[in-house]
Amino acid sequence: MEILDRLVNVALIAATLRTTAPILLVALGGSFTTKAGIFNIGLEGQMLVGAFFAVLGSIWTGSALAGVACGVAAALVFALVFAVLVVSFKANEVVVGLALNILAGGMTISLMKAIFGTRGSIVGHGIVGLPKVQLPGARDLLGSWAPLISGFTPLVYVAFIAVPLLVLCYNRTRLGLYIRVVGEKPEAAEALGISITRVRYIASLLCGLLAGLAGAHLSLGYITMFTENMSSGRGFMAVAILIFSNGDPLKVLAGCLLFGFADAFSLRLQTFGYPSYLVLTVPYVVALVALFALSYRARPRVIAETLESMRKLLSVDKNAEPGGKSPS
Amino acid sequence: MLSNTPGSPTLHSTAAMAVELTGITKRFGVFVANDGIDLAVRRGEIHAIIGENGAGKTTLMNILFGLLQPDEGSIQLNGEEIVIADPSVAIKAGLGMVHQHFKLVPSLSVADNVFLGMEIRRHGLIDHAAQVARTRELSKRFGLQVDPTERVGLLSVGIEQRIEILKVLVRGARTIILDEPTAVLTPQESRELFQTLRSFVAEGMTVIFISHHLEEVMEVSDTVTVLRNGKKVATRPTAELSKDELVHMMVGREVSFDRRPRASLHGDVVLEVKDLWARDDRLLPALRDASFTVRSGEVVGIAGVAGNGQTELAEVLSGLRPASHGMAWLKGQNLTALSPAAIREAGLAHVPGDRMVRGVDRNASISANILMGRQHRAPWSRGGVLNWNAIGQNAETLIKDFDIRARGPGDAVKRLSGGNIQKVVLAREFTNGADFLLIDQPTRGVDIGAQEAIHDEIMRQRAAGRAILLISVQLDELAALADRILVMFNGRIMGEVAGDDADEERIGMMMAGVAAPELAAETA
Repeated sequence: MEILDRLVNVALIAATLRTTAPILLVALGGSFTTKAGIFNIGLEGQMLVGAFFAVLGSIWTGSALAGVACGVAAALVFALVFAVLVVSFKANEVVVGLALNILAGGMTISLMKAIFGTRGSIVGHGIVGLPKVQLPGARDLLGSWAPLISGFTPLVYVAFIAVPLLVLCYNRTRLGLYIRVVGEKPEAAEALGISITRVRYIASLLCGLLAGLAGAHLSLGYITMFTENMSSGRGFMAVAILIFSNGDPLKVLAGCLLFGFADAFSLRLQTFGYPSYLVLTVPYVVALVALFALSYRARPRVIAETLESMRKLLSVDKNAEPGGKSPS
Repeated sequence: MLSNTPGSPTLHSTAAMAVELTGITKRFGVFVANDGIDLAVRRGEIHAIIGENGAGKTTLMNILFGLLQPDEGSIQLNGEEIVIADPSVAIKAGLGMVHQHFKLVPSLSVADNVFLGMEIRRHGLIDHAAQVARTRELSKRFGLQVDPTERVGLLSVGIEQRIEILKVLVRGARTIILDEPTAVLTPQESRELFQTLRSFVAEGMTVIFISHHLEEVMEVSDTVTVLRNGKKVATRPTAELSKDELVHMMVGREVSFDRRPRASLHGDVVLEVKDLWARDDRLLPALRDASFTVRSGEVVGIAGVAGNGQTELAEVLSGLRPASHGMAWLKGQNLTALSPAAIREAGLAHVPGDRMVRGVDRNASISANILMGRQHRAPWSRGGVLNWNAIGQNAETLIKDFDIRARGPGDAVKRLSGGNIQKVVLAREFTNGADFLLIDQPTRGVDIGAQEAIHDEIMRQRAAGRAILLISVQLDELAALADRILVMFNGRIMGEVAGDDADEERIGMMMAGVAAPELAAETA
């Protein structure tokens, strides 16, 4: 029990929220494209350029907020290129997404070399990180549980507040409704005079906005530095979550919390001296198990129908056993 | 291209007319879908447009709704000339159309679907409660029973149609066009729909509905317009018409009975089908209780308006669709338990109805297309390696035998005409030694010369003792080739007619769903 207490405590939950935030932001961005019927594997690249340009902006201007704005702007440019190629020119979304991911990886490395003359990482150089928000009164209200709501960087709050906002958007606003319709039944949208192209552009840009925030959070909030490929697969994790959540904000939240928890838990396990290679697989094993569990449950209705009619066949008609040879 | 027919509209008649089409002509390439059609629909009536598949009904309605532009002719609504450039113009002018294929969003509620594109909003947010209330009010008023809060994905096709009608009503339609509304409905649902249509008329609205179903036209319409081959045959008040006259006008007298000479060769039963049921892609019963046999040296024809279960029958017999009940034996082997490959092994050759989808690989060469399905057999391959010499020679021989007009066996199939592509399919299917030939629409989209050649080939196969099941929507084709004709309607075999005294009127009646008890040898 003592081990369990040391493993699972307030700090672990707070750590879960922290590790969840970047993946949640990018996954919520992807929710827009998923709902609009675009399979966007370019999230990783958008997040990476967001992280890089946030650092750059913060160094140039000396302001963390301006840094975030720079990161978002860069991610929006990537999202716009993605939308032009995929929506207007009808290019294959997987190919374009992959290409942009590779471009983001290469571009950030060469820009880093060109501007800072280094490879690997940018530390110092006057990067201004986002401040931690200490909510006044949190300690009085929750006592030792205060770290659950207080002391995070601002974009963590943005990530979690975005969840109900997206729910509201999809259920109660015209734009959210149209995004869903365009993704689910484009011919219905077309018949009603809703411009599929326009809606998909808007969804792609909203996605870029949130992916940029996710990137800025990584390099200015989560830690205050930029390293090569620092998104380290979070964009792809988000894609996995989007596939089995179908972009529903609440399911996205659940999936991200699961990954965030596995992430935080594996960090915690490492301090107990378990082999780190094994421990680091935890989030991915969790992902596989979750995917399997969900896809097993969602077997197509047709299979159920067939089983049904076979059962009927066997119970009603005695001649109708499969493999019966002679015609009556 | 658009030119109005000369002569001013007769003003005295237009006042009472909700819709008046004059001289509408629409061509698709060389095919004339609508040929100078005049149609006048009085306000406050139910006007049925009836005709066989391909008669031009849907084209005409799509023109009226602005989905197609006529090459010639003019449109008047309520006595005023109008150019309907796109559906939004039609909707503004008070027209509404319920299409054959519904365009609903499954994850949204009924009310959301009804108001999609014209949401009721309060403070910028969609007001679901108001939409639900308004939907409920409309559904009560016209007897269109739906629960506005339910998700569309969970509902039946009949209810989906009610939602489509509600969509049209919410947009303020006064003239409602329905394209084959009963095709997807159960008889009870159809009856409810008719009641709704009458309630529209009672409120002064106008209904135009397309159908090829005689009974319902007689039951519900005030006026009937019959189309045949893109031309209008007549417009008459329903009360003055009998079913016989209607069939007459629909089918016409131009079915040619150029019957092929034949010797009687009744051999052994090759295919026996018993109590066979199958579902369509929507999981609704599409083939109901079919039972029949095909003997060697016999051509059994399946007649019917397209979409009455013929496709499903062909798919079940070729192993492409599971049977939900019943059995089919090919030379004593139960087909319903076998895979498509095993059925072919058991002795099936299949000429599919859609040759571009299931008949050929359009990008591959003629040789490769003829090879398909036998590539694992000697002499075409040995030890897993294809023998292209033998394959090419065989293709060359078959190109000659089947008179395929191509430059050579290496020609890509997509470069050939429709008729020649069909001959490639026949060349493959008729030479693999199968005893049972399943031939679906062999001459669809094929020119007359090739049609003759294909018919000759089918008769040659019959003479060689093959058992043939010929599915066709063309009555003259069946009359020319079949020894017996089974008529399908709504998934059921309505009756059987001997090929020798094929009578287009009786077949037409059965095709339209009128049972012929004295002929119904096969229906239980």
